[in-house]
Amino acid sequence: MAKYHPSVDLLTEYAAGILPLAQAACLSAHLNYCAQCRQQTAQLQDLGAELFSSLPPQPVAESLLDNVLARLDEAPPLRYQRVPESGVGRLPALLQRLMRGDFRELSWKKITRSLRISYLRTGDPSFEFALYHIKAGGRIPQHTHRGSEMTLILQGGFSDAHGSYHVGDFLYRDAEDDHAPTALQSEDCICLAVLDAPLRFTSWKYRWMNPFLQLRPG
Amino acid sequence: MEDSREAGTGQAIDASGRRVDEWSECLVLIGSNQDRAAFTRLFRHFAPLIKAFALAGSSLSATHADELVQEVMLKIWQKAGAYDPRKAAASTWVYTIARNCRTDMFRRLQKFDTPLAAEDFTPEQDDEEPLVQLQSRRNRERIKALMSTLPPDQAQILAKVYMEGKSHAEAANDMDLPLGTVKSRVRLALQKLQIQMERQ
Ligand SMILES: [Zn+2]
Repeated sequence: MAKYHPSVDLLTEYAAGILPLAQAACLSAHLNYCAQCRQQTAQLQDLGAELFSSLPPQPVAESLLDNVLARLDEAPPLRYQRVPESGVGRLPALLQRLMRGDFRELSWKKITRSLRISYLRTGDPSFEFALYHIKAGGRIPQHTHRGSEMTLILQGGFSDAHGSYHVGDFLYRDAEDDHAPTALQSEDCICLAVLDAPLRFTSWKYRWMNPFLQLRPG
Repeated sequence: MEDSREAGTGQAIDASGRRVDEWSECLVLIGSNQDRAAFTRLFRHFAPLIKAFALAGSSLSATHADELVQEVMLKIWQKAGAYDPRKAAASTWVYTIARNCRTDMFRRLQKFDTPLAAEDFTPEQDDEEPLVQLQSRRNRERIKALMSTLPPDQAQILAKVYMEGKSHAEAANDMDLPLGTVKSRVRLALQKLQIQMERQ
């Protein structure tokens, strides 16, 4: 059971459908691990539905109904077989789709001895969406971010000065926070990180890699 | 609309005395029989709301708003077979589709090149979440009842975020308020509506 959750502000923006795509993907992946947030999100969605139901209706031309009726045959009803999918203990389907394979098949960029990064494409032009693989006991040197950083633990865990985090835990940090995560000794850690990065990789590299390499001891 | 039910409420009492809503019945009829008459009734009720939702943020043109209405109504037709009246009120289900379609339309208009559609973000539910199922309708009724107790400034922010599709930061900017004020108004509203985290 996850112990660290998105704030109610993030959950509200998610439920209203306005969280940026990459962040929404990360938050939705947390929901797969967390019944509590699923329930909270359902309530926030109920609120949206209530607001929707009490909007002042806008007139719709009769021809629009005719158009839609004429198109119903193009949109045959979908058939659903009820396959109860238990999300427990599996990677969220959304992530599996973005990864198109398992962790081993991804292309990992080696950053340091204990850190490798694999970038996934979400199509969100404003956020970096990447998997971090930190070797058991490995440490990411102290760093800060100019923007925000959303993290979801997918395997293993890590700790920093604020606490220790395990599978399903969700963290959101903004520019002021600095931290030096260290993977748990027992196993490698894989987490998803969504960074509020500049559009181009090179400037991202400049902002993140540089201080990172300078600070790296040994 | 000629209908024997009370106008506007969409509520009816079935033979066993249970409260059911007309729109759930329509969705079930569409899902099981492709019932076009039920679809037409549903259209007349929801299309004007979807259009209002599309125009709320004033970032979609009238043409896009009509396009959204058609898209959402066609999706409803296609997906009605997946609607489960025990899990959600019809309007919650319709709202969710409208929200997803609008989000996708925004992204399309911004020329996002993404493999993901908004509905892919739906968390994988454990089908066995009886608590959630039981609670959903009660939540709706509670929220409806408490909505009128919200002070106008809180109601206004909720409308901005949910209906106009503004982030907290954008809402703050629009209303010339500090971000912290917007966030705290949203939180206060959620407390009033008794939608709150049990943790912490
Ligand atoms: Zn959670």
